[in-house]
Amino acid sequence: MKRILREPLVHFLLLGAVLFIAYGLVSKPGSSDRPGKIIVTQGQIDQLASGFAKTWQRPPTTEELAGLVQDLVREEVYCREAMAMGLDKDDSVIRRRLRQKLEFISDDVAAIREPTDADLNAYLQSHPDRFRVEQRFTFSQVYLDPAKHGENLARDVAELLVQLNRAGEQADVLTLGDSFLMEHTFTATPTSEIAKQFGEKFAAKLGELSPGTWQGPVESGYGAHLVFVSERTEGRVPALAEVRDDVRREWADAARLELNEKFYQELLKHYTVTIESPHLAEVQR
Amino acid sequence: MKTKSLKTLVIVGLITMGLALGLRRNGLPARAQDAGTQDKATLEKVLPTKPAYSPYAGRNFPTRPLFGDSHLHTGLSFDAGIFGCRLGPSDAYRFARGEEVTASSGQRVKLSRPLDWLVVADHSDNMGLITDLMAGKQELLAVPKGRRWYDMMQAGKGGDAAIEMIMSFGEGTFPKEMVYGPANPAYKTAWQTEIDAAEKANEPGRFSAIIGFEWTSNTGANNLHRNVLFRGNGAQASLVVPMVTFKPWGSDNPEDLWKWMAATEEKSGSPVLAIAHNGNLSNGLMFPIVEAFGKKLDKEYCETRAKWERIYEMTQTKGTGEAHPYLSPNDEFANFEIWDKGNLDGSTAKTKDMLEFEYARSALKNGLKLEEKFGTNPYKFGMIGSSDAHNALAAMEEDNFFGKTTPQEPSPERLTKTFVKHPKTGVTIMDWEVSASGYAAVWATENTREAIFDAMQRREVYATTGPRMTVRFFGGWDFEPRDATNRMPAAIGYSKGVPMGGDLSEAPAGKSPTFLVAALKDPIGANLDRIQIVKGWIDARGELHEQVYDVVWGDAEKRKRGANGKVPPVGDTVDVEDATWSNTIGDPELITVWKDPNFDAKQRAFYYVRVLEIPTPRWTAYDAKRFGIKPLPGTAMKLQERAYTSPIWYTPAK
Repeated sequence: MKRILREPLVHFLLLGAVLFIAYGLVSKPGSSDRPGKIIVTQGQIDQLASGFAKTWQRPPTTEELAGLVQDLVREEVYCREAMAMGLDKDDSVIRRRLRQKLEFISDDVAAIREPTDADLNAYLQSHPDRFRVEQRFTFSQVYLDPAKHGENLARDVAELLVQLNRAGEQADVLTLGDSFLMEHTFTATPTSEIAKQFGEKFAAKLGELSPGTWQGPVESGYGAHLVFVSERTEGRVPALAEVRDDVRREWADAARLELNEKFYQELLKHYTVTIESPHLAEVQR
Repeated sequence: MKTKSLKTLVIVGLITMGLALGLRRNGLPARAQDAGTQDKATLEKVLPTKPAYSPYAGRNFPTRPLFGDSHLHTGLSFDAGIFGCRLGPSDAYRFARGEEVTASSGQRVKLSRPLDWLVVADHSDNMGLITDLMAGKQELLAVPKGRRWYDMMQAGKGGDAAIEMIMSFGEGTFPKEMVYGPANPAYKTAWQTEIDAAEKANEPGRFSAIIGFEWTSNTGANNLHRNVLFRGNGAQASLVVPMVTFKPWGSDNPEDLWKWMAATEEKSGSPVLAIAHNGNLSNGLMFPIVEAFGKKLDKEYCETRAKWERIYEMTQTKGTGEAHPYLSPNDEFANFEIWDKGNLDGSTAKTKDMLEFEYARSALKNGLKLEEKFGTNPYKFGMIGSSDAHNALAAMEEDNFFGKTTPQEPSPERLTKTFVKHPKTGVTIMDWEVSASGYAAVWATENTREAIFDAMQRREVYATTGPRMTVRFFGGWDFEPRDATNRMPAAIGYSKGVPMGGDLSEAPAGKSPTFLVAALKDPIGANLDRIQIVKGWIDARGELHEQVYDVVWGDAEKRKRGANGKVPPVGDTVDVEDATWSNTIGDPELITVWKDPNFDAKQRAFYYVRVLEIPTPRWTAYDAKRFGIKPLPGTAMKLQERAYTSPIWYTPAK
C-alpha cells in the first residue's frame, strides 16, 4: 500500500479524482429562463457563524445569521447569473484566483507523500554539497607585510621559511615575521570561518597544503603568510541521521516542484498552443 | 513624475498616519526591574595581572569582531510591504547567512561573505498587515475597503492601492478592523512569524538570529525611532507583543517605551535593550538637554535612558550622524554622508540650532554636562552602524548595494530618481544620496544571541560604514609605546586597560590616560588612511570642547604631519569612470599607543576612535559604470569608508 502511495501515477489519479469531485459539487450554472435550485446546507450555515465569530469575537445573533444567509443566497444568485453572462471571462482577478486554487490543490497532493529513508538517502547522495560537513583546519600562521619588505619580500619569505622549518611545530609564532592583529593559531576552524577572516583564496589554498611542515607563501588580502597545518579534518557527506531534518525539507521542496511541473505538463498535453510570434515561441522552447 | 509623487505621498501618509491615529502618552505600569546583565563581563574578561606560562591559557576575551545588522526590515513592515518588498524574515536570515536569494525586483543577489548575526526589526505598527492583505486573509477581505485594496493589488494596481491606503490613513478613515496592533489576533500571528523565522535561522556558534522589532515614534515626522532587541529565545519573546505607537495600546513617548521594556523583562524573563537611530532626522529632538515631550529633563530621565539605551545607531542608509561640519568646523572629515535638510519626510526644514541635539559627538559632549547636573549621563552610548534597509537585504557593500527600498534596488534609474520631495518645503532628497551603510561590529566572546547582547550592553561594539575592518581600542594608565609592537595586543589591552565602551577613573597622580589602538583592513577591502582619536571634555567653567587627533597613519615614512599639526591627505587612486582603485597607498594595518597631551584629572572626558580607509568608489560609481549612465551634477562618486568605536569615558573620582 505504502509503495502504491508513492507512485507518481497514483498522485495524478488522486488529483484527477479531487478535481472531478470538486467539479461535481458545483451545481450547473443557472440561467434566467430556467431557474435552478439553491440549497443552503447546515454545514454552510455553521461555517458562516464561525467566520463571524472569528472576526467579532462573539457568535452572531439570529438576525445577524439570517442576514448572512440572505447574503449568501444573494451571492450565489449573482455568481450564477454573472457566470451565465460570462462575466468571469477575461477578469484577471478571477483568473489568478482560479490558478492559485488549482496550484494549492496540487501543492497539497504533493505534501501527502512521506519520504522513505531510501528516498532521503538518494537525495542526500545526489546533492552531497548542500549537506556537506565542512573541512576543518588546525594551523599556525606567520605574517609578512609586503610594504615592510618591498623588493626583498621573496628573499625574506624564503629565509623565514627555512628558519621556521628548522623549528617545526615548536616555532615561536609570536616573535617571527611581522606583527599582525589577527590570531596566530587556529584550532579546528571550519573553512567558512577562515574565509571570513583571511578571504576565500587563502581558505582554498589551505586545503592544498600537506600537514606537518611550514609552507607558503599563502597570499591573503593582507599580504604573505607562512602556514603550518598541524591537522586537517576532511569534509564529509554526513550520515542521514545527522541531517535528516534538513534533507527532508529539501527533498519535500524538490518533490513539490517536480510534481507541480509534471502536473502542468500533463494538463498541457490536452492543448495545442499557438503563439503568434515565431520568435517568442522559439524562446519558450 | 508619477512615481515621485507616489513616494512623497507614501512618506507623507505614513507620517500623517501616526498623527491621525492619535499618538498619545499612555502610562504603562512601571515595575521595579533589574536587568542584571550590564558591565559584569568587562570585569570578568580582564586577565589576571600575573600571566600563566602559556600565553593562550585562561584566555576568554573576544578574538574577532562579529559583523551584523541590527536593523533590517522585510515585507512584514507596513511601509516595506507597500513599497513592494515580497521577501519575509526567513529570506532575510537566509541572505544574511550567505545564501543567494531573488530580490523583490527579480534580480539574484548574494553577499560577498556571510554576516555573523542579524536582527530583523520590522515596524511594530501594523506589522504583517500588508502581507496578510496580499495573501487575501479572510478577516481583511470581510472589510469592504480591504476587499477593494486586495482586488486592486491582484489586478496589478498595487501603486494605486498604496496611495488610497495612505490617503485613508491621512483622512482618519482607515478601517479600524484592519489596524494591526495588540488588540488584533493577526498582529500576534505576525509577531510569531518573526519569532519562528529567527528560531529557525539561529545556530549558536555560527549565526545568531536575534529577535527584535522597531518602535517607530514619528510624531510630526520627527524621527525618534528605536529598535528593541531581545536577549532571550522565541518562547520568551512570544510571551509579549511588540509595543506600538498608537493609542490606546501604545505611545510615541520614549519614556513609555522604557516602561514597556521594564514590564517586558518581567513578563518574558528576557532582558531587552533599545537602540535609537537617525537623530539627524529628528529636528533637534533626539538628544534633548532641557525638556522632552513637554517635561523638564530630570534625574529619573537620565537614569532611565542610560539604563535602556546603551548604544546608538549612528550610521545607516539615511545618513551618518557622527559629527556635522557646522558643529565641528575644524574637523575636515566631519562632512561625511550628511542628511541635514529636514525631518523624515522633509515637512519641516532643518535649522542650524537643531543640529547640536541630533549628532552623536555633540550628544556625547552634552551628556558630560547633564552628568554634572543630574549625576547620570543619559548619553553614555556606544556606537554601531546598521542598514535600515526595507527590502530584507542587508547588502551594504558599495559594489553590491541593493538599496534601501525595493524601488531602489539596482536599476538604470536609481542614479537620477528622487527619494523624498516635500511639496510645501521643497526639501528634496535624491536616491543617489542614500548611503550604502552600514554594519555593527561586536566584540562578543562567542557567536550566540546572549554573548552578542551582553557585548552590546557593555558597549564593546563599533560602527562601520560597510567594510569589515577590525578595530581594537583600550584605555588605561600604563600603556607604553612598546605595547604597540607586542604580538598579542589584545592580551596586553585587556590586562592593562579597559576595552571600548569602558570607564576610566581614579587617575594616578601625575598620570595621563594612555590608549592602545589598532586597526586591520577588511581582508577583501581597501587599505587604511589613518586612525584618529576624538576627545570631548568639559572644562571648569562648564564649557564643552572637542579635539580630533591623528594618532597613526599609513605611508608614514613619507607622510609627515603638517605645520597645522594635521596629517596631509593619503592620496587618491580612484578611477571613477572604471569604478576601480588600488591598494598602492595606505597601510593594511595600523597600531600605536597614544597618550592624551592635554589631560586634566578634574575634567570629565570621553575618547573614541575613527578609522579612515583610503578613498574608494562609492556605489554611485559602480552604478554609472555597470548601467552606462551619467550621474546628475553634484553626485558624490567616491568616499572614505570608516569605522567609529564606542568611547572610553574618564570620570574624576568624587
